[in-house]
Amino acid sequence: MSGRISLGRVLESRELLYTLLLLSVILPLLHPIGIPIEISVRTRDVYNYVEKLKPGCHVYIEVYYEVAARGELEPNLIALTKHLFDKGCRIVYGSLSAFGVVAFSLFRASAADLFADKVYGRDYVYLGYIAGGEAATASLAKSIKGTISVDNYGNRLEDLPLMKEVDKATDFDLVVIVSSGTDVFAYYVRQWHTPYGVPLLFVALSVIGPSIEPFVGAKQAIGMLVGQRAAAEYEVLVGRLGLGMASMDAQSTSHMLILAFIVIGNVVYWSKRLSSRRGGAR
Amino acid sequence: MISWEVLGAWISAALVVWIYSFAYRDNALYKLAEHIFLGTAAGYSIALALDSLNRVLIRPAVTTPGTFWATSWHYVIPVVLGLLMFAKYSRRYYWLARYAVAVNLAVGTGLALRAVPVANIVRQITATILPLWGSDPVKVVNNWLMVLITVGGLTYFLFTIFPRRVEGAPPSPTYQVYRALYYIGIYGMMVGFGALFANTIMTRVGFLISIYLIYLQPQVWASIVAAILAAIAIVLGALRKR
Repeated sequence: MSGRISLGRVLESRELLYTLLLLSVILPLLHPIGIPIEISVRTRDVYNYVEKLKPGCHVYIEVYYEVAARGELEPNLIALTKHLFDKGCRIVYGSLSAFGVVAFSLFRASAADLFADKVYGRDYVYLGYIAGGEAATASLAKSIKGTISVDNYGNRLEDLPLMKEVDKATDFDLVVIVSSGTDVFAYYVRQWHTPYGVPLLFVALSVIGPSIEPFVGAKQAIGMLVGQRAAAEYEVLVGRLGLGMASMDAQSTSHMLILAFIVIGNVVYWSKRLSSRRGGAR
Repeated sequence: MISWEVLGAWISAALVVWIYSFAYRDNALYKLAEHIFLGTAAGYSIALALDSLNRVLIRPAVTTPGTFWATSWHYVIPVVLGLLMFAKYSRRYYWLARYAVAVNLAVGTGLALRAVPVANIVRQITATILPLWGSDPVKVVNNWLMVLITVGGLTYFLFTIFPRRVEGAPPSPTYQVYRALYYIGIYGMMVGFGALFANTIMTRVGFLISIYLIYLQPQVWASIVAAILAAIAIVLGALRKR
């Protein structure tokens, strides 16, 4: 009948799946269920490694992600920064991506409490966008001040107290790469870890995790934090709950929904296939 | 009073909803958001690249020329090479761009080759040479899986010399081992692709959650508006299929 929408049409429309997915994300955020999470061995290992760093240690953090990836990577970056500051580490941030500048400024705003008692230039420095890809990575490993002379805000690096303490790859106790791409992890493995043996820590999107797993398996990185799940675990460990933990209920419910649809899809597929076979046999 | 910040948040939220509306159907608002995004991203990249050039080279060269020429004179070389890239727009001097491309490729290749054999080949092979017996059964199983799937994956991509089955004759032991590894390779890769797919879903859902938390969550009514929009989209989608 014209003007009427049959229930079957609605049920088999992809729009229904999208809407249910939207609801499965929104409802747990409005009314949190509080599904408990367990700390994985991998996240615990990263935490224990950072825990062993001595006060006054130096850490380099590569901020290489665009705003779209903020939801998965920023919670990890915030939790790690808190842990590193709590341990008394001094941090040099840098970006091989132009969008890293925006990501860093948003991260600074989201974690304003962490930087409240920190002095720029002494406790942390942001080098800004450094053009040049892998060539720039190799150059930074050799000498940061030889690669760039000023930070993101135009301050001369020679005038910053922290930059008097560090200049080359071996001056850092840990290098953290927070990236939404795959290439930059390989840059640091090739140009910082292989020639200088600097310990690397990867912070990646869930979708990137399997691609960089071989580096972790081959002990070319001390570990990796992947996606919002790892962020939630790290937030629990450092005692600063944020976006990572807030998203866990929604992640769980949306995954359950997708799993249910995969099961339904398979049941329908096999039942259709079996019935057509039976029909063929007749 | 509406501040620039509030206005910006509204524009951001509207753009997000318009972009996600593509999941339901291609539409003019999606196209508008897409074009705004691409234009802004391209413009922003150019602005930041120029700012980087200004910060690192132009400003120090103008404000402190003595220090610049004593310590950072070599920055001029990439700038000259970069400018040579524009020569390809000239019919007469297009060949100059080749020097810039050649240097770029040579530097990239040289830097990569310095570490690739160790980082991407030797260390990866070493990581798959694992003890296949030991006291920890979980580790032993993991090691077996790692070795078998690695060898199986390599066997699957063996396109040159491999055992063939002679028609009519029973399969030789070499052929049977080859086929077993071949299938282990296939199933290993399938498991890998499955994990990749699951992680892809997690990332996409993560993006959706973070977008929601950043833009819409503070106002519950905004979620209701989103739900109404989604319902309209379902009805429109169903009508379209009729």
